[in-house]
Amino acid sequence: MTNERTIRIDPVTRLEGHGTLTIKLGPGNKVKDIQFNVNSTRFFEKFLEGRPMEEAPRIAPRICGICPIPHHLASLKAVEAAWDVTPPPAAIKLRRLLIEAKQLSSHAIHFYALAAPDFVFGPFASPAVRNVAAVLKYLPDVAIQAIKLMEFGQELCTTIGAKAIHPTTGIPGGMLYAMKEEERDDWLTKVPEMLENIHKTVDLAKTVVNSYIEVITKLAVTPTYYIGLTNNGTHDIYDGKIRVMDPEGKIVENFKPSEYTKYYGEHVAKHSYATHIYYKPVGYPEGIWRANTLARCNVADRMATPLADAALKEMRELVGRPSHHTFVYHYARIVEMVQAAEMIKTLLEDPEIVSTDVKLSDVEPKAGDGVGVVEAPRGILLHNYESDDKGMLVKANLIVATNNNIAGIEKSLMVAAKQIFEDKVLEKITLPEPMVKT
Amino acid sequence: MTEPTSIAMAQGSSCWGCFQSLIDIHLNLATVLPLIDIKYWQCVADFKLKDLEGYPDKSITVGLYEGMARTEEDIHLLKLMREKCKILISFGSCSCFGGIPGLANFSTLEECLEVKFRNNKTVKDGEVPTENLPTIAPVVVPNSTIVDFEIFLPGCPPTSKLILTALTALLEGKPIELPPHTVCHYCDREKKETPIEKILRPYEGIADPDRCLLEQGYICVGSATWGLCEGQCVNHGATCRGCFGPPPPITNDQGAAAISMFGSYAPLESEVLAETVLDPLGCFWRFTYPTSHLGAIRIKREEAKTK
Amino acid sequence: MTTKTAAKIDNTESWEPRIVAFCCNWCSYAGADLAGTSRIQYPPNARILRVNCTGRISLEFILAALEMGADGVLVSGCHPGDCHYTSGNLKLRARWTIMKKAIEQAGVDPRRVRLQWASASEAQIFADGVRTLVKQVKELGPIMEEWK
Ligand code: SF4
Ligand code: SF4
Ligand code: SF4
Ligand code: FES
Repeated sequence: MTNERTIRIDPVTRLEGHGTLTIKLGPGNKVKDIQFNVNSTRFFEKFLEGRPMEEAPRIAPRICGICPIPHHLASLKAVEAAWDVTPPPAAIKLRRLLIEAKQLSSHAIHFYALAAPDFVFGPFASPAVRNVAAVLKYLPDVAIQAIKLMEFGQELCTTIGAKAIHPTTGIPGGMLYAMKEEERDDWLTKVPEMLENIHKTVDLAKTVVNSYIEVITKLAVTPTYYIGLTNNGTHDIYDGKIRVMDPEGKIVENFKPSEYTKYYGEHVAKHSYATHIYYKPVGYPEGIWRANTLARCNVADRMATPLADAALKEMRELVGRPSHHTFVYHYARIVEMVQAAEMIKTLLEDPEIVSTDVKLSDVEPKAGDGVGVVEAPRGILLHNYESDDKGMLVKANLIVATNNNIAGIEKSLMVAAKQIFEDKVLEKITLPEPMVKT
Repeated sequence: MTEPTSIAMAQGSSCWGCFQSLIDIHLNLATVLPLIDIKYWQCVADFKLKDLEGYPDKSITVGLYEGMARTEEDIHLLKLMREKCKILISFGSCSCFGGIPGLANFSTLEECLEVKFRNNKTVKDGEVPTENLPTIAPVVVPNSTIVDFEIFLPGCPPTSKLILTALTALLEGKPIELPPHTVCHYCDREKKETPIEKILRPYEGIADPDRCLLEQGYICVGSATWGLCEGQCVNHGATCRGCFGPPPPITNDQGAAAISMFGSYAPLESEVLAETVLDPLGCFWRFTYPTSHLGAIRIKREEAKTK
Repeated sequence: MTTKTAAKIDNTESWEPRIVAFCCNWCSYAGADLAGTSRIQYPPNARILRVNCTGRISLEFILAALEMGADGVLVSGCHPGDCHYTSGNLKLRARWTIMKKAIEQAGVDPRRVRLQWASASEAQIFADGVRTLVKQVKELGPIMEEWK
């Protein structure tokens, strides 16, 4: 008989994606291996082949229904890069508004529906209550403000993209739909309430951070590399160069998306249908990087908007830069939510947002290789397409947010598992009283 | 107050967009959530597969299955849902017709694995992962060939309004009544019944916002598509690609109908059509390849190879 | 050669393709009729279905026939310009072109389908068309063989 055992968490819940967790423990509860098994794959790279390039932005969003907008946009940018097309400035503003609206709703849903139940009810509450339905029951005001934020973001996406889930208005060379003045006016009247809900969210988040500060600063602290998009050092989710930060906090790369193959390594793990992307010059596993909110906030020198920038400074005072605290992802999410809210307001107030000059009429396909990168809520994502001279898609390479995160997730799970099984940290850490007792 | 209705929501290989669309009923959640008792819902509640396996058969009133089922785990989950739920809903176009991931049936599994794991721009000579992973079936088959469903709710995703209508009816124990019209019925654009002179790709030119896109030469399959979306794309400048599948009875072959319609509109020379309709299978059957006649032929052939 | 492959070839040799032929009432069906009455020989494999006009043919008919195991499908209509409903055949021709591309994309050999124009007096053209399709399909073998 061996003292080995395997713990399988199937499925991993309250995340988007199909994952199972396998933890192998040896004698004395030594953590021998952690696997995050992503157990489904649909082969988008293959079936994009042979499609007309302009159809890719209508197909690729189905990679993820939670962040279809970043996929739509990265896909458009890849086609435009391959064909050498630059859309009119007003179209870019609409796309920026679209991605910020998505950022807002996605961060709201993540914070309130996926993360908050643990903090509100305590991580050991029963599954029947540790969920968003219970938030609604016990904290209706909080739930309503969450729903209103999600609604604001999703409905704004619908105005611009025709559908919030799997938008269809982006087209190589611009947008098929120009925002109407009445629509803009209507949205502007909704901004004050949205901002108020953002402020309430910030307050709630700060309460959570303060009461869980011990968990946040002690559990699953995992130094890794970080990857994120910045525009000359400023946090930007639509466009810019890709920065890589090393675990010490030094910016080691700042490259154009088109050069990604020099820096992106792809490791095919034996236990996951989603591959692991890492910092190629350093190799695997040393070069494991993480993407997503914390990564972006680590690599950026500053946020793009004043309130968000102040929030980032506040966060850094508490956890430093870089922060390797896995739980600080939630905090960074709030910082980004503030930025999205401010951006949305600025863009809606920009007269050019209702310009009708949103589409080129003379786009011509040509042979080429194009890379499109944007930041999805869960991290940087990249589409790379090769076009033939008729504009048919010959080859696709897709590196989505998940790929950039899984190795980091495993690494941070390893840290947490060691703390939990070997150091029995849960007995040492004091958890705050749940905000709501059930 | 009546007892809440027990519900299980499961996902096969999917994008989660159908469930996002359910969440997007927004403030109606405040009405609906208290009426349901969640028994399984991976992205919302922490019940595990074991919990679902442990419930008595037919003990859950309503089940929703999102996505297609290509891995052995997806198939297990689908069958499990069938056992445990009284009413099983095929939720979204992936589940109803195979959906976008059904396009993988253009290629063999080996061809797919090659590009994904063995050789691409960032991978050289990789090995297909196998450890602690479910196997992948040779082709995407329609979920309805694996289990029976009581209700089909198509759409990629079904709109929040449609979901709310369906859920409300179910919770009240009433039949779900849905209008049978196609997308054209909801489209604000004017049709003049004029033949198409030239086929345009969607990025070409600037379309007249008031005229039927198809008549302007942009391929639109609205007339072969169930209009439960109420024409969201066509009223926003974009052509319909048919994501809600064919109108009832939804077993019709959507692509066949769409091309038949299209041919009536564009009686052009064969050479011109062959040159300008670039990707018929990927356009007219984008969401329904696995449930179509051609799809059935393909599935039979791929399955035969592995026998 | 294994016995199994030998048996298969045996089978294939005695096998006769099943062809579904859609003929428009005004030209080709009459042409087929005439072929019969004037004793023009053509293979007995075609089951003829009369439609009012080829413009009436939805691709559903053709694709369903293939899925149900028809080894080949023939469509025979009036010459362009001669359609009794002016342009039904042009509409069918447009559908046909697109369908052929789709069939190929799905991995079905496009030689299993044939479109031809034959007027009421062109019995020979009709018969030759059937013969050509039967020959093509014989080379390809039974469609169901591909599914076993
Ligand atoms: S039907 Fe569409 S939205 Fe639903 S899971 Fe499939 S791809 Fe996603
Ligand atoms: S074909 Fe398309 S654009 Fe034309 S009326 Fe129908 S839905 Fe509208
Ligand atoms: S218009 Fe067509 S593509 Fe758009 S949502 Fe409706 S059915 Fe889907
Ligand atoms: S009547 Fe013969 S093809 Fe139209």
